[in-house]
Amino acid sequence: MSFIYNIKVKILSRKEVAPDIYLMKLKAPEIVQDALPGQFIHIKCSKGNYPLLRRPLSIHRIVKEEGEIYILFQVVGEGTKLLTQKEVGDNLDILGPIGNGFNIYPESKKIIIIGGGIGVAPLLALCEESIRKGKEVRVLIGALNKELVIGEENFRKLGAKVDVATDDGSYKYKGLVTDLLEGSIREGWLADQIFACGPKLMLKKINEIALEVNINCQVSLEERMGCGIGACLGCVCKIKAKEKNNNQNQIKYIYKRVCVDGPIFEGSEVVWDD
Amino acid sequence: MIDKPNLEVEIAGIKLKNPVMTASGTFGYGEEFSPFIDLDKLGAMVLKGITLKPKMGNPPPRIIETPSGMLNAIGLQNVGVEVLIKEKLPYLKKFNTPVIINISGDTIEEYVELARRLGEVSKEMGVAGLEVNISCPNVKKGGMDWGTDAKATYKIVSSIRKSTTLPLIVKLTPNVTDIKIIAQAAEEAGADALSLINTLVGMVVDIDSCKPKLANISGGLSGPAVKPIALWLVWQVFQTVKIPIIGIGGIIKLEDALEFIIAGARAIEIGTANFVNPKVTVEIIEGIEKYLKEKNIKKINELVGIMKI
Repeated sequence: MSFIYNIKVKILSRKEVAPDIYLMKLKAPEIVQDALPGQFIHIKCSKGNYPLLRRPLSIHRIVKEEGEIYILFQVVGEGTKLLTQKEVGDNLDILGPIGNGFNIYPESKKIIIIGGGIGVAPLLALCEESIRKGKEVRVLIGALNKELVIGEENFRKLGAKVDVATDDGSYKYKGLVTDLLEGSIREGWLADQIFACGPKLMLKKINEIALEVNINCQVSLEERMGCGIGACLGCVCKIKAKEKNNNQNQIKYIYKRVCVDGPIFEGSEVVWDD
Repeated sequence: MIDKPNLEVEIAGIKLKNPVMTASGTFGYGEEFSPFIDLDKLGAMVLKGITLKPKMGNPPPRIIETPSGMLNAIGLQNVGVEVLIKEKLPYLKKFNTPVIINISGDTIEEYVELARRLGEVSKEMGVAGLEVNISCPNVKKGGMDWGTDAKATYKIVSSIRKSTTLPLIVKLTPNVTDIKIIAQAAEEAGADALSLINTLVGMVVDIDSCKPKLANISGGLSGPAVKPIALWLVWQVFQTVKIPIIGIGGIIKLEDALEFIIAGARAIEIGTANFVNPKVTVEIIEGIEKYLKEKNIKKINELVGIMKI
């Protein structure tokens, strides 16, 4: 785990890129040094006691040369709403970078990256890193409708092949993003790894598909979070833990912390039906 | 103006360099906070509640935010006392800050065994004292049951008392009709100090699914929202017992800490605020020193319980 800083970072820009979805650029030279795709920052959104807790937001892009990071987030409650009211030039109190990040295997040649809704947030940095490492990348984006398809062009600019599915069919393929994944497998494009972030049901389905064709699948999980530094045990998820007991492999379950043990987990180790 | 005010206090025979402690469950096993603060600066560290055997804890969601506070239902997930001794305490030994272990159990026997085991390793592993949790609202067995009945409190505290010479702090629940009776029972049973309050039982409902927002249904309320209740209970207990009181409940800034001390707390524990600002403990210690200087008070002890009525 990388060192977690508690620092103030300046907002360099802020833009509403889709209804209620904001892109913010932050000056954070300390963070970019060790930041990994899949990690997040934990932001104090309010000045006072309401809302009390910080908000965990994925790092969307890491621009090492400039010492800048981007966050992409959707307004879902009081905390994120307050965040949109911050002005360019304001300082944000943040903790970060936090978490384990995606694990891109050196031997992987082909990678599929799947984002559902605001789940694309941590995936642009991942796409950039994958392409830098010489991987062939396909990106599948799922959204409710055309307006909420985010980052399609950004992924394409990096050199990834991008497909989009919308629930209402208002843009490109009508249906679920997991249909696109099944389609690409049927057509014989087998990735060495799948990385995904989005609604839990989507992640569960992706994991099932990945298991069938025996592809490593890593998912970014979410849970209500307290401290963000591994102390409060508030943000746990249920994980299968293999333990040798009387020379027999016995499946045991444990609760792992999404903040510092995750947020990236192997899809096969997550207990999905609980 | 006083040049260097004396912040030292003594709780249950444990000498603290200042009155600022960490509340159990909000400070992990200490190491989690080492990137942010110098652990040597703290008055004492109270670690995450420990049980004899490892505990899995409750299913998620375990926390939910409320106005100026939060509910938690962690369910005492912890590594168990043996892992604590082997893997967590060695790291803390290098610091010159007393380590207090918060203990929980399903039965009296478990508390007694924990106290005995921790007493056995206390010198070698640097255990300064025990905080007896008879106030956890989020476990099915034991937990708060011990702290809501004076007879049960007396029974469990006196049993633990017989099993160890370690300083005993008994942590009280606010979920009672009259906390003074429980406080008295703990004192009579041999507690060296009392800490209060643990969390208040509460609930949040999701109006779309019509389900409780916590998987455990109820949780413990903490944060600034509970501070006035905690202060009132500290003040009541202060008038009732002779042993020192550690004030806990919604302390997030210097003024909150001072309120507790003036109302009768010899020391304070900072809890939920650690989640919001990991440096809060040290900031409050610095604030107390500055306050004493400005007010020309030589010792923090002079402030304890001086509330004028």
